[in-house]
Amino acid sequence: MNNQLAALEKAAAHAAGEACSELDLQQVRARFLGKKGELTALMKGVGSLPAEQRPIVGALANEVKDRLETLFNSRLEELRAVELQRRLTAERVDVTLPGRRLRRGSRHPITQVTEEIVSIFASLGFGVAEGPEVERDFYNFEALNIPRDHPARDMQDTFYVSDDVVLRTHTSPVQVRTMLNQAPPVRVVAPGTVYRRDSDITHSPMFHQIEGFLVDRRVTFGDLKGMLTTFINEYFGTGIGVRFRPSFFPFTEPSAEVDIQCVICGGGGCRVCKNSGWLEILGSGMIDPEVFKAVGYDPEIYTGFAFGMGIERIAMLKYGVNDLRLFFENDLRFLKQF
Amino acid sequence: MKVTQNWLKEYVEFDLLPEELAHRLTMAGLEVDSMEKLGEGLDSVIVARLTDVRPHPDADRLTLCTVETDSVTLQVVCGATNHRAGDLVAFAQVGTELPGDLKIRKSKIRGQDSNGMLCSLTELGLASSSEGILILPPGLELGIPVFVALGLKDVRYELGLTPNRPDCLSVVGVAREIAGMTGAALRLPVPHLVEAGDAAAGKSSVTILDSDLCPRYAARLIEGVTIAPSPAWLARRLEAVGMRSINNVVDVTNFVMMELGHPLHAFDFHFLRDRRIVVRRAHDGDRFTTLDGQVRTLLADDLVICDGEGPVALAGIMGGENSEVRPETVDILLESAYFNPGTIRRTSKRLGLHTESSHRFERGADIDMVPLALDRAAALIVELAGGRAAAGMIDAYPSPLPKRQLVISAQKTSQQLGVEIDASEIQRVLKGIGLVSDFVLDRRDGALLVEVPHFRPDIEREIDLVEEVARLIGYERIPATMPTSTLNSQPLPRHLQLERLLCERMAGLGFAEVINYSFVAAASVERLGLAADDPRRQSVQLLNPLTEDQAVMRTTLVPSLLETAARNIAYRTGDLALFELRPVFHPVAGEELPRERLRLTALLSGRREPEGWAQQPAECDFFDIKGVVEDLLVGLNIGEARWPAEHGELFYHPGKSCAADAGGTRLGTLGEIHPEVLRTFDIPQPVYLLDLDAEALFAAAGRHPGFRPLSRYPDVERDSALLIDEEVSAQQVLDALRQVRLKDLENIVLFDVYRGPSLPPGKKSLAIRARYRALDRTLTDEIVQGLHGKLVQALQKSLGAELR
Repeated sequence: MNNQLAALEKAAAHAAGEACSELDLQQVRARFLGKKGELTALMKGVGSLPAEQRPIVGALANEVKDRLETLFNSRLEELRAVELQRRLTAERVDVTLPGRRLRRGSRHPITQVTEEIVSIFASLGFGVAEGPEVERDFYNFEALNIPRDHPARDMQDTFYVSDDVVLRTHTSPVQVRTMLNQAPPVRVVAPGTVYRRDSDITHSPMFHQIEGFLVDRRVTFGDLKGMLTTFINEYFGTGIGVRFRPSFFPFTEPSAEVDIQCVICGGGGCRVCKNSGWLEILGSGMIDPEVFKAVGYDPEIYTGFAFGMGIERIAMLKYGVNDLRLFFENDLRFLKQF
Repeated sequence: MKVTQNWLKEYVEFDLLPEELAHRLTMAGLEVDSMEKLGEGLDSVIVARLTDVRPHPDADRLTLCTVETDSVTLQVVCGATNHRAGDLVAFAQVGTELPGDLKIRKSKIRGQDSNGMLCSLTELGLASSSEGILILPPGLELGIPVFVALGLKDVRYELGLTPNRPDCLSVVGVAREIAGMTGAALRLPVPHLVEAGDAAAGKSSVTILDSDLCPRYAARLIEGVTIAPSPAWLARRLEAVGMRSINNVVDVTNFVMMELGHPLHAFDFHFLRDRRIVVRRAHDGDRFTTLDGQVRTLLADDLVICDGEGPVALAGIMGGENSEVRPETVDILLESAYFNPGTIRRTSKRLGLHTESSHRFERGADIDMVPLALDRAAALIVELAGGRAAAGMIDAYPSPLPKRQLVISAQKTSQQLGVEIDASEIQRVLKGIGLVSDFVLDRRDGALLVEVPHFRPDIEREIDLVEEVARLIGYERIPATMPTSTLNSQPLPRHLQLERLLCERMAGLGFAEVINYSFVAAASVERLGLAADDPRRQSVQLLNPLTEDQAVMRTTLVPSLLETAARNIAYRTGDLALFELRPVFHPVAGEELPRERLRLTALLSGRREPEGWAQQPAECDFFDIKGVVEDLLVGLNIGEARWPAEHGELFYHPGKSCAADAGGTRLGTLGEIHPEVLRTFDIPQPVYLLDLDAEALFAAAGRHPGFRPLSRYPDVERDSALLIDEEVSAQQVLDALRQVRLKDLENIVLFDVYRGPSLPPGKKSLAIRARYRALDRTLTDEIVQGLHGKLVQALQKSLGAELR
């Protein structure tokens, strides 16, 4: 009996080792430990043994059973691990294949840059205003101290709708409209589409500007410098060179062009900056008292500054775009890059 | 405006490197657009003599020249015809790099050796155009650089002047600025005019009839001149600032204009009828030939210079053909006048006739410069063209203009600029540019009374003086500060927030934002086949469009987007998802300005998913564009929308398009573009479009409806397939379902629509899946059975549906 048990255990261990799947192993278990299995059959023979041997053999048989249970369980773990490994290996994919993508949309670089600039000024306390693109001559010119027979009109080639209605040539009329509607203090930026009758590689008949202005008591030219320098540092990075130089706009006095150190060559001189090392990016100045008079602000009490910049120019510098026309051709190969 | 360093130095001493001068001019508001060093790197262009000139044996138009320098004798092939043996020429030796990247190499031209080049003025960068090669004056030493020999080493600055600075439209004006920045003295030229013979007043006269337009008119008579080419110094000087040399008399008037900024005109005295000048307004309809040969029709607003009978010049703009100085001219009447800027500008603008003269007068000339400019020119003419200046100047100046007197306060200046400046500094810097001032009352007051000379017509108010001070002390001296003004919260206006939201949403849905021009061809709406009375046919028209393709403001974004699609397809980008959020313009009867209304238009075409190994190749269809609209409505919290198939828009496929309505408002339309319309736009593939009134969307946009509590109990789903008449729309089914109002119905999905031979004719099968779930308990099968039964009954009752 002992020998039989030993032989069974050996056979069972061997069979478990031979089993190469979970199913095989289950069959082996059934064969040896199942209700109709070999160990059960052997145990039935215990009854025919002498009484003094029965407990000993019974205990022995239980030990064998326990050992086999443990063996089968560990073999099962082993087989599961092997099986899992096989499955994982079989399921491997080429992870370098491109992923499944959704159609990707894009924002136009001009609206992106506009929103970036507006956000910076919003963080500096500026509100946002808008005005019509088809505008009265009065708001576009007259109220901005640009009378009809003034050579300053030559600075902006104008599309006319009638004698008194134009496509706005700048966003400055929003300044006038806002001031007519709102008492000081005001701090507003006005992004928008503008039009000039000019079309070549560096001029588009339609383009975009952001106008900004601030009016309050005791606003100084130094404040204009401070505010615009803050903006430039926010947008182009701190440490970029900035210079203010005298210029002329009919609606500001004193007026200043604002140049930044060339972002292409770093100031050493290149084709983009015409070897000057500087790029003109903003027009600005202290709002002319004539404009205040036109909108009913008292120039003895209030002062303020205004500024304007071309979005396309800034977008061209930011992304290195070398042809203005690309912004309006709407070639998806271009748009998808933003 | 171009000036050169050598010319500037005639009137002011300065010792600045060219780069430094350019920088300081720019920082003083006279922006230097470009700087050119004349003769730089051209020391290898030397004086040489032609010892022999003979025809090229194998080319009719070329000559073989023997060129002798101080050290060698060489053969050079030359294409010019104005050179003779014995001439001194500008010889560019091999190795020279001429302006315009022209490198001189040893070469063979038609078989003949050429060891250098004989240069023209243009090739040396001294003139913008020239004829033949430069023949040098005799007596120059062979071998020395031409630029040195002629004293032409110079620096040319091109200034981009703002329209408020007519005073700097002259070399003297720029020199005055340099004097202001360096503290040096400005030296005006002093004419030495020797008068001879009878008084001019006895031989001619000037009558000003319209002194409002011409406050001053002076003239001198010079008799017996000889018209001839100008001497080299004069020609070079004019060429260096971009003017062409014509003859001695015309060149002198141009020279004085460039020098002093005051335009002059010379008449052939012989052709002045009655030998007199009358300044008056023209008569409406007068015809007059200017010296460019154009016949001009005049208006009563135009100012003309007349002789005893009629116009001889368009005042301040251009002389007349009838009195022009010609080679045979002997007696000259020289004009120096001041004209009202407005009248010059109106006439010049109307006639499209912009001249150096009108450019200066319309910006404002210096009325006090009239006599000096006249004497300077007269003296030079006598010197260069001979002749006798008749005694005395005729100077009609009926009411002399007083100089403007302005007060500037140091305190106010400091306050506005944000930097401390005292009155004596203001006085000093203003004096530097010729603005003389006196302290008002006494020094402690800190105010100055400034007399503004007539050469600064732009200085009209105290603030203009403040600007001058800022400019002269330098903007860099003003410290950058931050305004201390009141801060109040200014949130982005609602419509701008919604605009951004729409854009972000569209980009999130895979659409690329485009920006098209707001102006389109007038015919652009024609291609959409709009109805004859469609309001979009009424557009805002430009009076002066650049091209016919940009003649009217668009009333719809649809054609622009279709054109964009066609263009991209032509570039072989056929999978398109584009959107544009921009205003359209509708004229309003009785209103000056059109109504600008924001529209959102989007276009979808080609494959639904980007191409890829794992992607479905399916093409977009109507339901893709409809899904986009549905998503936008959800994003804007716009509740139930209706989709009427009748919408009146003719550019859609009539069977695959609808309107989108919400809350009784039409938001817009969507659908597949009509094949005929696609054909007119040359689009070879189906295109789906949405065209929404963004402002209607914003008006309909609601607030977030608020949170709905989540049930913790299990759900039960029931599917039913319903056989229904083909004519019954999904909308009717959805409406019927909605009317049942079952409390524990969580949602219903229409998950299949089936048509096929297994169904009775005229029927379709709709499969719906209803999910039931209660907030407060687990629903039993019985309850769900009852609920779903009601749902199905409702469909059976109202729409005649049958369960399959």
